[in-house]
Amino acid sequence: MFNWKLLKTIYLYDGTLNGLFTIAFDCYIFKSIPSNIIFEDNYISNFLDTAIYIKTDNEKSSRIWNGLYNNVSYDTLYNCYYAFLSCQKNKEINILKYILKAFIDGPKINTMLHIDYVLEVMKLRKNVLHESHRLKGLTRLSEINKNLFYASIHPDNNVIELLGHFFIKRFPLQNLILHDKNRNLLFLYNSQNPNNYEIISSPSNFNISNYSIEEIEFQNLWKTFFKNISIKERTNPRLQMQYMPKKYWQNLTELK
Amino acid sequence: MDIQEKLEILSDAAKYDASCSSSGSNRKNSSNGIGNGDISGICHSWGADGRCISLLKILMTNCCMYDCKYCINRRTNAVPRATFTPREIADLTIGFYKRNYIEGLFLSSAVIKSADYTTELMIQAITILRNEYNFHGYIHAKTIPGSSQELIDQLGKLVDRMSVNIELPSNDSLKLLAPDKSKLDIVKPMSYISNKLENNQRLLSTFSKKRNFSLSPVTKYQKEKFVPAGQTTQMIIGATPETDLKIIKLSESLYNTMKLKRVYYSAYVSINKDSCLPTLDKPPLLRENRLYQADWLLRFYGFHADELLEEKHPNFNTFLDPKCDWALRNIDKFPVEINKASYSMLLRVPGIGVISAKRIITARRSFSLNFENLKKLGVVLKRARYFITCNGKYFDKISSFNPSFINENLLMLEKRSTPSKNNYSQLSLFENSLPTKGDVIKCLTGNF
Ligand code: SF4
Repeated sequence: MFNWKLLKTIYLYDGTLNGLFTIAFDCYIFKSIPSNIIFEDNYISNFLDTAIYIKTDNEKSSRIWNGLYNNVSYDTLYNCYYAFLSCQKNKEINILKYILKAFIDGPKINTMLHIDYVLEVMKLRKNVLHESHRLKGLTRLSEINKNLFYASIHPDNNVIELLGHFFIKRFPLQNLILHDKNRNLLFLYNSQNPNNYEIISSPSNFNISNYSIEEIEFQNLWKTFFKNISIKERTNPRLQMQYMPKKYWQNLTELK
Repeated sequence: MDIQEKLEILSDAAKYDASCSSSGSNRKNSSNGIGNGDISGICHSWGADGRCISLLKILMTNCCMYDCKYCINRRTNAVPRATFTPREIADLTIGFYKRNYIEGLFLSSAVIKSADYTTELMIQAITILRNEYNFHGYIHAKTIPGSSQELIDQLGKLVDRMSVNIELPSNDSLKLLAPDKSKLDIVKPMSYISNKLENNQRLLSTFSKKRNFSLSPVTKYQKEKFVPAGQTTQMIIGATPETDLKIIKLSESLYNTMKLKRVYYSAYVSINKDSCLPTLDKPPLLRENRLYQADWLLRFYGFHADELLEEKHPNFNTFLDPKCDWALRNIDKFPVEINKASYSMLLRVPGIGVISAKRIITARRSFSLNFENLKKLGVVLKRARYFITCNGKYFDKISSFNPSFINENLLMLEKRSTPSKNNYSQLSLFENSLPTKGDVIKCLTGNF
């Protein structure tokens, strides 16, 4: 890009957005760009590269956070957040370049789609939002006992927080446990404490198998409805599968 | 009769309604309530017929005093009958909604005792939902032909969307097949709702002017707002002899004069035997699909019905979609130069949808586009390549602009992409178009 120094070094970080923003801050100050950025747990060392670990510094990361928000645009900050939730391997280096370029070019960055990494960030964002929108519909909440609801999901991207927000707004009075089984993450919400939620990692054997009596009744009613609402003369499993790919079926009450 | 049996009968009887959209409302939740609207709508599942399931679509009752010939619930059919109580409807809706099965309720009904009596039952159910359960999710109610204006008014203040089904595309067909319903029964409530909606607009502008002084008028406005997600209608295709031209002209005038949000087309399924009705082995799904494609062109692509069809060719081409067909008949308007063409002309290029056209306009501000760039932007060139140039150049291997060559190639594409089985749906339209945010979502959700 801009005539900054291209380092041969790989930067490792803790896998958080603040960690990536810390790196962005350092790069901005030293006018240099690493050859790659990798989450430390995923890094397999190799005696040909040099890798250094950059420690997350909340002071630095909030400078980037505020800088994007105040001097570039709200959308640009959010594009970084959404793209960061992606499961794509090389997302970090593209987001980094996008941030640095955004500080140079301002809000018009988001129209510069001929630049590879800008287009890439836009694609990641779209992909993440697409999956999260889909799961807003395709997640089933089951009542474990009075007013405590549980749902398991298997998303490609890390959308648990986006989904959690959505459910809290919609069901502020329901206690909720969302379970990302691909990442072993739990999103916890207690309706007594409506301004708060937590995301923690779950024990790998965490499982729910007991439901309230009312729950079983409603599951049966839902299955009945699902069966009866489709028109026999129009049966078209291919089309059904196209809109609702098989990978979602494991979490859908009506298809179990 | 237990609730399970009632649900079985009354969802089965409701399934012929094509609409299941939950878009167009951004109703907010309250801190002690349940539910909110999502402006672009959310699909929760897809049935075995590939249609999206977004709302709990049920009838209040299927006991009908009328005898519409095409309808499964007609008085003279021997089918099991059931009626929900208003509370059963409300409890079922909340139970489903809490578990995130649905975006809300689509309540319709056969006519029991009288139109007003039926509408009152519906209002009771919805009032329980809104006032007792504090439900702010989506509600779509169908109006019962012949019910009074006061009741329509009450209903309209409670729900997000209303529909008045036009049922059949001409007055003659209506007389023949739905002898108990008059054209007036349909047009009156429709134009009443449409006038009220215009009022909405006026209300909104006065309240938003006042917004700086206090918040309360806005809240008040939300309470008073009448069917915020607008009204829709539906007609049955293939039970009566109207041409495609007649049908899309009707839709066009409904969009223009009644400000409808959507017209739904429902391929006729032969359920009843009657001398006035055709016997079809299969519902005319391809025809339904073509009508949806054309409808899309009317609403989002700036086409007029008269451009798409004419008296000499009053029906759509079975082999080519309406946009390709139009382009080939108007080949003198092509090729279009990507770096210069107006937005409205870009939209007329086969294969270029709303999203692609917008992207092209944005991107070409900072640099001049070639075919490689278009691909990167995600513009699908499969069809478009025959109709465009980039900086005066044709797509590779296309050396000149030759209509019969284009025709052959498009037909070949179409053959390859037309699935052998009846894989048509109103939903597949989303492939290359993303109309206004409010109408629908990308998410290629196919949510209507
Ligand atoms: S009024 Fe006509 S269309 Fe409606 S339920 Fe009765 S018979 Fe069917």
